[in-house]
Amino acid sequence: MSTEHHERLRRLLFLVPWVSRHPGRPVDEVARALGVTRSELLEALEQLTLVGRPPFQPDDFVDIYVEDDRVFVELDQRLSVPPRLTAAEGVALAAAARVLGPLSSEALKSALQKLERVLPAQAVARFRELGHRLDAASDGPSGLGTLSWAVSERREVRFDYFAQGRGLTERRQVQPAELFTHHGQWYLAGHDVARGADRLFRVDRMGPLEVSDVHLPPREVPVRAHVPGPEASAEPVTVAFVKARAAWVRERFPEARARDDGAVG
Amino acid sequence: MDRTERLLDLVALLLAEKRPVSWQRLRTLFKADYGEGSVEACERKFERDKAELLELGIPLTFVPRTDDDEGGYRVDPDAYYLPEPGLSAEELAVLYAAGATALSSGAFPGSQDLAHALRKVAFFADGPLAPPKVRLEPGVAVDTSALPARLDALWAAISARKSVTLEYFSPRSGEVTHRKVDPYGLALRRGVWALAGHCHLRGGLRTFFVHRMRWLEVNPARPKSPDFEVPADFRLDDVIPVWPWHARFHAPIDVDVSLSADLPPVARALFGADPVATPAGPHVTVRATDLDALVSTVLSLSPGAKVVNPPEAVARARAVARTVLDAHGGQGA
Repeated sequence: MSTEHHERLRRLLFLVPWVSRHPGRPVDEVARALGVTRSELLEALEQLTLVGRPPFQPDDFVDIYVEDDRVFVELDQRLSVPPRLTAAEGVALAAAARVLGPLSSEALKSALQKLERVLPAQAVARFRELGHRLDAASDGPSGLGTLSWAVSERREVRFDYFAQGRGLTERRQVQPAELFTHHGQWYLAGHDVARGADRLFRVDRMGPLEVSDVHLPPREVPVRAHVPGPEASAEPVTVAFVKARAAWVRERFPEARARDDGAVG
Repeated sequence: MDRTERLLDLVALLLAEKRPVSWQRLRTLFKADYGEGSVEACERKFERDKAELLELGIPLTFVPRTDDDEGGYRVDPDAYYLPEPGLSAEELAVLYAAGATALSSGAFPGSQDLAHALRKVAFFADGPLAPPKVRLEPGVAVDTSALPARLDALWAAISARKSVTLEYFSPRSGEVTHRKVDPYGLALRRGVWALAGHCHLRGGLRTFFVHRMRWLEVNPARPKSPDFEVPADFRLDDVIPVWPWHARFHAPIDVDVSLSADLPPVARALFGADPVATPAGPHVTVRATDLDALVSTVLSLSPGAKVVNPPEAVARARAVARTVLDAHGGQGA
């Protein structure tokens, strides 16, 4: 189990190698890379100057310092590369990777195989055992891994899309902007080229996906799409649920109001 | 000497030494920590330090004495240093995007482990990796502020096989019950985290939604000693099914669903099964242990999808459709 002390050790074992590989980076950038505040980083750097190896002569200490608000390391005392991933780190990363559905992306599948190869030999069994205890895989319908790649690389995509409202499937050409979940449902937000407008697409209604080789220019305004709910309609909408469903409805729609007969709406 | 400094000093020393360092030499080199006071107390202190280094993943090993060497402790640099994983640009980008997405959702079990893993994976990257344009939102709208800490606590309990006690709210009864649970695994389904484990109150395997836990405590007694064994035949998928119609409410039933001509390309995403072309049009066959959940999905796709076999499934689909129609004051057949 992680404790504050354990966390500090993990951070310090990563800090020296990181600065060693990226010498002269601003203090704030190093703090961001380490996931700590500026003052926590400065405290960590101070502590590292007391670390070394016996017989603790001046050259036996880690020599890491800040100059002109930039961080340098002169003597890393062989802490030049971080330790390997632990089994727990590997499991967390593998589980997170599966959020996007490893089966749908060759890149994710091969990345996970390579990840397992860099685990310490003694951690592999534990990695496999714990891997069966954490499962975030099913939320990702097929195509998510490839779509996330297309979004981050700003590549145009084409896919068959089943439009529930019209009950038909059409080929869509989309410049993807963001991929997100809403109430457990995955959506792609992007610019529909044929319609000349931004649209939302449910990922589970997409057919075979094709990713273009062309890089799109970055969008001027960052997108943070949302799924329109009842609050977006001009007229108020009232939906009544029977009393037996009231508790479940309140869990999903906390704004639901109780009615006299125990139902909600 | 401060414990953090001592542990880092040990790592630096053992990484630099080509030969094992004996306990006697360690006692001399770290005189103030291991060399003074009773031998037993010094040994206990070193054992605690060793355990923490091993927990950090430091490959600290003991080499027995030989004719040529007095033996001792060592850290093999090859086993210690993170090797370049050799990820392609695409592999790194997708892996990092997935990990960063999970982390930025604010509610992912083992979040600290995940943060460290991401840093290590990105260590060899040529430049800073772009934040992902992927978002995970929670699948429930209730206050989820306690969710991250509960997920981390549950994951720690699962990893160490420690029992938890929790207060659990049931929407069905509207009551909160106090439970002791042996946590076996966590799964994310439709944006909602669920725990599977042995419930001592009910005397069997149960599922708990994490957002319905009102209070949670991991057994603080003997943190290094497991409280239970996970049954060898336990599979998370069996208890927390991927598809809603796989919840185990009745014996399995194979249901044929006919599809309109537009649906086959998305049939796998919708039903987890491949469509089959028949003279009557495309079909999928779906095995269900919760027929109502399947019927609900099929009706949501109506008229593009329709339950066509077996007769009891058709009858149930009609009954549910009629209930929906009646609720809306309809007069249809």
